[in-house]
Amino acid sequence: MTRTVSSTCPYCGVGCGIVLNVDEQDRIRWVDDDPENLSSTGMLCVKGRFGTTFVNHPDRIQTPLIKRKGRFEEATWDEALDLVANRLLEHRGHFGSFASAKATNEDAFLQQKFVRLVMGTNNIDHCTRLCHSPSVEAMLQQLGSGATSNSYIDYEEASCIVLVGCDPGSNHPVIASRMRRAIDSLGTKLVVVNPRRIEMCDRADLFLQPRAGTDVALFNGMARAILDEDLADRPFIEGRTEGFDAFVSAVGETTVDECALVCGVPAGEIRAAARLFARPPARRGLPEGLVPGSCLVWGMGITQHTQGTDNAHSLLNLALLAGQLGRPGCGVSPLRGQNNVQGCGDAGCIPDSLPGYQSYGDAAIIPFEELWGAGLPRSPGLKATDMVEQIASGAIRAMYIVGENPLLSEPNLHHATDLIRALDFLVVQDLFLHETAELADVVLPACSFAEKDGTFTNSERRVQRVRRAIAPVGMARPDWEILCDVARRMAPGAGVDPAQFAYASAGEVFDEFARLMPQIRGISYERLEREGGIQWPCPSADHPGTRYLYADSFPRGVARFVPVRQHAVAEETPDGEYPLVLNTGRILYHWHGGTITRRVAGLMEQVDTVPVAVHPADASVAEIQDGDPVVVFSRRGRMGGRAVVTDAVQPGNLFVPFVKLQGSAANFLTNNVYDQESRIPEYKVCAARIEKKRERKGAFTLRS
Amino acid sequence: MNLNGRSVEAAGSLLDAVLAAGIALPHLCKDDNLPVIGACRTCLVEADGRIVAACSTPAAGVQECATDSERAVRIRRGVLELTAAMQSRAGGAAGGPRSAESSEAYASHAPRPGQHDVRTGTHADLSNPFFSFHEDACILCARCVTACQELQHIGAIGIAGRGHTARVTPGAGVSFRESICTSCGSCVAACPTSALRPKG
Repeated sequence: MTRTVSSTCPYCGVGCGIVLNVDEQDRIRWVDDDPENLSSTGMLCVKGRFGTTFVNHPDRIQTPLIKRKGRFEEATWDEALDLVANRLLEHRGHFGSFASAKATNEDAFLQQKFVRLVMGTNNIDHCTRLCHSPSVEAMLQQLGSGATSNSYIDYEEASCIVLVGCDPGSNHPVIASRMRRAIDSLGTKLVVVNPRRIEMCDRADLFLQPRAGTDVALFNGMARAILDEDLADRPFIEGRTEGFDAFVSAVGETTVDECALVCGVPAGEIRAAARLFARPPARRGLPEGLVPGSCLVWGMGITQHTQGTDNAHSLLNLALLAGQLGRPGCGVSPLRGQNNVQGCGDAGCIPDSLPGYQSYGDAAIIPFEELWGAGLPRSPGLKATDMVEQIASGAIRAMYIVGENPLLSEPNLHHATDLIRALDFLVVQDLFLHETAELADVVLPACSFAEKDGTFTNSERRVQRVRRAIAPVGMARPDWEILCDVARRMAPGAGVDPAQFAYASAGEVFDEFARLMPQIRGISYERLEREGGIQWPCPSADHPGTRYLYADSFPRGVARFVPVRQHAVAEETPDGEYPLVLNTGRILYHWHGGTITRRVAGLMEQVDTVPVAVHPADASVAEIQDGDPVVVFSRRGRMGGRAVVTDAVQPGNLFVPFVKLQGSAANFLTNNVYDQESRIPEYKVCAARIEKKRERKGAFTLRS
Repeated sequence: MNLNGRSVEAAGSLLDAVLAAGIALPHLCKDDNLPVIGACRTCLVEADGRIVAACSTPAAGVQECATDSERAVRIRRGVLELTAAMQSRAGGAAGGPRSAESSEAYASHAPRPGQHDVRTGTHADLSNPFFSFHEDACILCARCVTACQELQHIGAIGIAGRGHTARVTPGAGVSFRESICTSCGSCVAACPTSALRPKG
């Protein structure tokens, strides 16, 4: 007999409802979709449906591990926790922590409470730094909130969808399905902007293929076209925005034709895209009296550049110019990559604000200090990429890393590995002994999503329950419980009341989180049980939650135009030695660095070597055939993969997913240079060279 | 509406009313999560003296509906005998997440074996790492096709051929692995037999 447990998918940020079918041996036998779930409406993708077997993989860490004389030895929880507590007390003042966008809101909330209250620092961050920090930065400046403004249902009510620098078919498959449903059944227009031809291009009305790093030129060109053709939403601009004149004068500096020359997209296509976005023709079945809306949806193609924040500004300017915010069927959506990257930021695992994106000023911090009974640090902490770089200066000497593997996700991995190796003390808390964990002094075994209670918050701000379906594997424990144990041991030494870290359940942690974050104050486990997922803002217990933001006002009052200009396309551009542009991203059958999906046999059966997409013209120069083993070089490293010769990439470009397979990963090649404001690395552009892997001449033959 | 002698609200389809009243009725091609297909005829009921498919008949306007009349049960048994004849594997075998739907239909209606020639399709596709397809258990209800087309909007599978040669396929001469299938598994979740079943 199997039993069923409703939960939330642990992969991408779509947050699909899953129903785990568990057998008597506590193994997940089948994952069902959940038609009642409003985010996924009965859909799943291959990873959610078939990708949860990692939970019972034999590689799961079974016990705490302590490194002695360079080797890990199994330890009891008490031994490991005592050691962590004692060593971390010595390291207050030069400590940093990475939280996990894979763990629950409760785990994240507890981690930032531990870091701020016990370690006395705001040096806490997570992988949002590497994906959407420029989007959040730009949205906070221009709108006053860093979250997706709309809901997935808006893609099905829009008259036009503009997909920029993202590949939902691979990375957010259920969102791609919802978009296809709109396009197929309602005639919704689709504009795809991507240097690479993605699967959604099959249904696109327009496909713009700009040169890497020229997004600002393209979107300023679209803005100029909207202004030239008088398609701007004047009442919206006058009533709800500021800074319009400065924006107009910046955009006025270049004509559409000049922008076209820079980005390589024909001027006619820029104008056509501008018209479709600003004034889309009404989709079939648009209710009488509603203005046709456009959804602006983007991914890492916008953000992972040294001008990532400028790119995001240029997109938000377009949304303001066309008034595509605050109504059904429009809005701005940065697609989130991890199951709880929205929640991890909401819970305060970012260096520049408290839970709920509240600043360190008196008004916001005092309720925290009163509830927690001690003073909190008030200066912004180091961002994730800076924490790693600051190991070199000695500003960071100890780290506590939960559910993240920076030695696959950081750029220029040889450099990052040297830095992590130089730490005095490293604690890693995770499911598997991955590249970063191998370098740790103490490894603590954490529960997977299937072994604990909690909540995830998805890309449309929907807080959803995660429910314990199986017993913990080995001695694994939920992250929040482990952090509480460390914190209670350290509390007396840090002048904190140990009772601050005594919770009977994940629900109690959530209650404290909801009390301190006004946007979710009205959400409780009891309501989630009764109503299913609820979208924040939900300020009170009788509030139904919010489908789309900015209906009447912006959190900062009026929205602000931020003029931006196209600068150098990238820090490193092709030259004679490295003649190609290397672009990185993801594929359907693996998830990010692959720490999890490498441990799902079926996914490995689908893709077991890194595919390197190369244009036929470049392949022929290098004498590479489709399927050949190849080596890709940059100034920082090399990696092996298998050639996929395809005109989906432009001549002069390579595309490589950043999953690590057969020991090879794109991040050995990527460039550790950063966007000034958000400190995101430039994963999307570096100079590279491709060669066919040389046959090794048999050195010797074994005698029979 | 009067349903099996009880007064019930006539909302949605007759099948909706029947299920809402807690009455068991086979509906092998109707998935809770998918639009009406109306292909399998296993939900036939007697409504105001006519035999109709409950899934595609609106309840509004029907005065008397019986799922348990001698005539309705007899005709459903006949349909299930035809259904069973499509499967060379007796009862469709267990192993799919929804295969209880067909085995419960057979158990409750006791179709007599050997009433019709058994369809001979024996194609099996084991190419996908996550699930397999077995034609000998397929009843051509089209739930898998509908899930692929109208839920996920992928369109990787269809029904090719007619009559005795009809079969579910990811394309002529193409295996699941070679097709545009993204392995989302919605077809497996929809299958009321074990024609599509998860591996392992």
